[in-house]
Amino acid sequence: MVSAIYPLAAALASAFLLGLLHERQRAPAYAITLGVLGFMTLTAASWVWGFAQTGQAGFEIYTAGVAPPFAISLRLGLAEASLMLLINLTGLLSAIHLQAPLLAHGRRAMAVLLIAVMALGGLVMTRDLFNLFVFIELIVIATGGLVLLSDDPRAVVAGFKYLIISQLVTVFLLIGIIFAYHGTGTLNIDGMAMTTMGLASGGALAFFLMFIAVVIETKPFPANGWALDIYESAHPAFAAIFSAASAAAALFAVDKLLLIGGSDWLPIATGIGILSFVGANLLALPQTNDRRLLGYSSIAQTGLVLVVLGQRDLLGDHTLYVAGGLLLANAVAKAGLFWLSDLIPKREPAAWAALRHHPLALFAFATLLALLVGLPPFPSFYAKWDLVHPLADAGRLWLLGLILFGTLLEAGYLFRWFGYSLKREAPALTGSLVSPRFGVVLVAVAAAWLLALLWGELSVHDNLLLAVPLAFALAFLALDWLPARVKNALAITGLVAYFALTYTDYDPLRMIFAVIFLLGSALTMLAGFDVQGRRPGFYPSVMLMLAGLIMLIRATDSFAFFAAWEVLTIGSYFLILRGKRSEPHALSYLLFSFGGALAMLAGFALAAQGAPSIELVALAQVAESVAPWVFLLLAIGFMTKTAAIGLHIWLPGAHAEAELDVSPMVSGILLKAGLYGLMVLLLAMGTQRLAGVDLVDLLLWIGALTAFLGNLMAIFQEDAKRLLAYSSIGQMGYAIFGLALMNHLGWLMALMFVINHYIYKSMLFLAVGGVARRTGTRQMFLMGGLITLMPLSFIAVMIGIIAMSGVPPLSGFGGRWIFYNAILATDARLPIALIFLSGPIAFLYLFRLIHTIFLGQLKDEHRQVKEAPFWILLPQMIYVAILIVAALVPGLLLRHVDQYLTEFFPFGALNWEGLRITSDFGYWNPVAIMLTIGVIFMLLLSWLLFVNRRAQKVKQFNIVFSAERPYRPETTHFAWNFFAPYRKAMGFLVQPLVTRFWDLITQTLHGIGEMTRRIYNGNAQTYAFHLIGFVVVVFLLGPGGTA
Amino acid sequence: MTFEWIQIPYALLTIFIVLNYGLLMTALIAKIAARVGRRHGIPIWQNYADLVKNYGLRSSITHGVMFYMGPVFRLTGGVGLLLFVPTIYGSVMFSNLSFAGDLILALYFVFFGTLGMALGAAESGHPYSAIGITRGLSQVTMAELPLALAVFAVALHYQTLSITEIVAAQQGGFLNWTLFTNPLAVAAAMLAFLGSMMRPPFDVVLAPQEIPIGPPTEYHSSYLALMQTNRVLFPIAKIVVYMNLFFGGATSWPEFFIKVFLIYMVSVLVGVVFPRFRVEQSIRWFMIWAVPIGILAIVLA
Repeated sequence: MVSAIYPLAAALASAFLLGLLHERQRAPAYAITLGVLGFMTLTAASWVWGFAQTGQAGFEIYTAGVAPPFAISLRLGLAEASLMLLINLTGLLSAIHLQAPLLAHGRRAMAVLLIAVMALGGLVMTRDLFNLFVFIELIVIATGGLVLLSDDPRAVVAGFKYLIISQLVTVFLLIGIIFAYHGTGTLNIDGMAMTTMGLASGGALAFFLMFIAVVIETKPFPANGWALDIYESAHPAFAAIFSAASAAAALFAVDKLLLIGGSDWLPIATGIGILSFVGANLLALPQTNDRRLLGYSSIAQTGLVLVVLGQRDLLGDHTLYVAGGLLLANAVAKAGLFWLSDLIPKREPAAWAALRHHPLALFAFATLLALLVGLPPFPSFYAKWDLVHPLADAGRLWLLGLILFGTLLEAGYLFRWFGYSLKREAPALTGSLVSPRFGVVLVAVAAAWLLALLWGELSVHDNLLLAVPLAFALAFLALDWLPARVKNALAITGLVAYFALTYTDYDPLRMIFAVIFLLGSALTMLAGFDVQGRRPGFYPSVMLMLAGLIMLIRATDSFAFFAAWEVLTIGSYFLILRGKRSEPHALSYLLFSFGGALAMLAGFALAAQGAPSIELVALAQVAESVAPWVFLLLAIGFMTKTAAIGLHIWLPGAHAEAELDVSPMVSGILLKAGLYGLMVLLLAMGTQRLAGVDLVDLLLWIGALTAFLGNLMAIFQEDAKRLLAYSSIGQMGYAIFGLALMNHLGWLMALMFVINHYIYKSMLFLAVGGVARRTGTRQMFLMGGLITLMPLSFIAVMIGIIAMSGVPPLSGFGGRWIFYNAILATDARLPIALIFLSGPIAFLYLFRLIHTIFLGQLKDEHRQVKEAPFWILLPQMIYVAILIVAALVPGLLLRHVDQYLTEFFPFGALNWEGLRITSDFGYWNPVAIMLTIGVIFMLLLSWLLFVNRRAQKVKQFNIVFSAERPYRPETTHFAWNFFAPYRKAMGFLVQPLVTRFWDLITQTLHGIGEMTRRIYNGNAQTYAFHLIGFVVVVFLLGPGGTA
Repeated sequence: MTFEWIQIPYALLTIFIVLNYGLLMTALIAKIAARVGRRHGIPIWQNYADLVKNYGLRSSITHGVMFYMGPVFRLTGGVGLLLFVPTIYGSVMFSNLSFAGDLILALYFVFFGTLGMALGAAESGHPYSAIGITRGLSQVTMAELPLALAVFAVALHYQTLSITEIVAAQQGGFLNWTLFTNPLAVAAAMLAFLGSMMRPPFDVVLAPQEIPIGPPTEYHSSYLALMQTNRVLFPIAKIVVYMNLFFGGATSWPEFFIKVFLIYMVSVLVGVVFPRFRVEQSIRWFMIWAVPIGILAIVLA
């Protein structure tokens, strides 16, 4: 192993050496700089490799050859080595990125950069307090110098402010060190930790001063205005060092000091950390400058790591894994994003749309954001999971809640930003992507994926990156250059093959979902053959979603389940975001899903009771004191996905604005994930009572209300896809209701809904999508009379609505029949009234759908419209066939499910005798019904056709119309506000109260953020005042207040 | 019970009897309603004349495929509903095809004709048809709710969904009828009944003065003949369901004739007294008066 002295010495020496070069010899100077940084990076890498391979413990390096207190000692262990690697690599890459400014400013700037990197490394390694102070001073001076590399005139001011603040920090630190030395007689950190400084008079104050000085170096909220000005005005490559390396080094220094302070100081670190995390994320919400936004995010993330350090008493040896995961994730992401920001022409976040036409850059952006937010498979995902579990176990629920809240805020502004990058007007990039400036970003991206692999390996859970479905989905990233049709064929083959390989693994319940997720999606994807060209980004997203879905039903423990949930959420988010006008809807989808996921995370953490994860079946054994809460949190999580009323506002926009073949997937397939979750939950936990309320009863009410209001809202929609989207809300309400009945037939009905809803909703979305494609509108009143032009689409819609409305003889009736039998066996009566009403209401919007599009008067502009494309019709026709078969022989699939359910609900199973199905209450013979109706129907139809065999189809306006002849289809097609009487009578029920509620919440959060950020007025005196105020408050709230 | 071929002629016989009874009864009722308005009214055989005339007419006009389907759906709905419900209790001959399904089948099959008719009428492109349909659908959704609640209350009460078993449970004296054992359910159902009979105050769907005759505006000749047939059959088929569920069913044809007539007369009596509601008014009316009774019925069941 290379001695730790050498890199420091090399940097120091070459910084001096650079001074000897001639001012004009800039290229050699730059080469030396890169060379030294490269050497330092390699050395650090070799250390990391060495420690990782040998598992060797850290060791001390005595600089003067003697042990402390007579000389300064450095320590090198795995943690130090990793941080050194991070710092040196960031320095090297930033130096590459900074090529132009460095060459322009010459050797002095390069020397300063070397000193900065060296000092950061020193701060990490040193075990001596005074040495710590020296390195901090070096960092301060170097930072002040490097800030000037920017062209931004504000940088000078920012650097100056920074120096003023740093003087204050220096004063605190130095006074603290003097007193501490006085009290303990040593400057060595480990030596000091062994003495009982806290007991010495003034010892606590001395420690406090040192501690607070180093903490301020981590730029905690709100004493951090100076840091934000630097982030905003400095050169982005330096901001990368400032965010990635400086923060990491400062945090490590805090960690070292906490060793001296002992466990008394952990709560203070936690408090400062969580305040920073939530506060900075809140303030980031209204930011309009991308770099300042990144600055806030850095502060927040640093705060989170501080929280982890403060939880050392809980996390123990695991602290390193958790803190490391968060720290490295933030560092890599921030460095990458700051570097990338240099390619963006303007500073408002919307200008990142410049990346829009560069798939690689977009991929880099997405990776770095995912890394930052902590999505699987990145290290911060594992880290957050491992952080939250002990917190829940130790009952630190406030902290847990605040962490999750902050995470949600963070996801909010980061993904809003990502939405801009895909959807806004795209300016040109300021540079070429074939340049070192973008090259370093790619290094960060590679590092992100490497870290993902590494953290997966190190975790006690499965390595997510190695899961077959996820790997298959990610492979499509590499195949994105292929034509869409090839990729479509590959995807379909993959789905079917995976089903063929694994179908023996599923019990009948999971089988239903496996069939829908794998074969069902393959069927829907046939429509994808209609798309010409490459369709960039589509296949990775859709396969990610499907990978998540299939991982979900294969998961047996909470970790795998949650990871799958996040994967499917993020995949579907990318998928929804592809729609032309879907930016706000995709964001709202993501926020609800992510919020739900965090609730789930909390639920699982509570349930695990200290274990790293919990088997899903073990949910049944959760202690009674927490069980209802676990149930509640998980149910909320699942219900965000099924869009239960109150959590539903994301769905209409997301489903309606998605692309033609995406809508059937996110509606017909994705919604089932929530139902699956609820099934797993209910099977394991059954009924729970909280504050005297039976939670399953509550679920019953939610289901009924959702069914009723979802349907009611659907009948007032003018947009065909929104109508179908609201109808999905209602349908999911039915399914939740069925599950909450908690009896055999209720579950059978819910499962039948799962299948039926998949079939007819996929079919209807495809049909309506095809019509919208041909007519160029989704507004139903603008259409009309398309039946003769699009007969196959008409048939699909007609069969779809007959099936969905539950009219015999199609399969929807079976669902209704089972439903009636199910409610006869329950005691809950009142919600049933709501469910009864929602059935006929569904009939209203379904009729509207078919009438206003296909019947009535054809519009002049649609006279040349053609039938929908073949590949869009094909799956629809297959669905029609399936619906008819399912109507005739419902037992094909249901019978097995019925038997399987007997395991959980022994009473009330159906009897399947030949063609006849009987329950405890009634009977049903699908074939007899179909035959009777068919025979009567055909007889009458044949007779009518026979007697009217000479009838001619008359022209469009040949109708009896008060002795007049209408001539404008627009005034003759009765379609707009179709159910006006209903609106008059029931309109008060569909006031957008829920939307207003959530709007109010987001506005309030933004308002608080906007108001609070006014404390940063840019004045150095104000910042100094903040700092002193912060110190005083922390002192009073901390041990100082009680001393 | 399973299917035997002999059931087909039996079923046809049921249809024949009900059709003739319906033709006469609706004419009689039209006459009664006319007398209330101090008019003379139609001759008792008028319906036969109308039907024969319309069946005899040939049309050379159609508005398209669904236009054809409308009356077919409609009459299939009427005949089907009649056949899925046993007509005479205890008679194998007139139990029709009730082996195919239970009460739920009857309840949902009511919509079959409505849906088909709506589709067919809509293809004519006539705005009056469309207006009639939205009115009809809006009203019927709310009017059906008390019925659904009442049916559910009755099913809970007898713990079965089989119509035959429900009728069986009401045998042995009129005090055993649901009317007396579960008056709330019957009250709710009878209010719903008013809404589904296309008589005032709930007849704005057809509203002869403003939207000529609503949905069937464009139908004529043989199309209309099928619909007229249904207009005779379908109300009786519905009344049979009511009779079986709430009024003890019928054990013989005379009992059947009387009960059907009396139940029908409920809507006539109300209809000749009250003026017409607008749709939103009728929705509110059902919400305020009929639905709470229905909810009470299921809560107390």
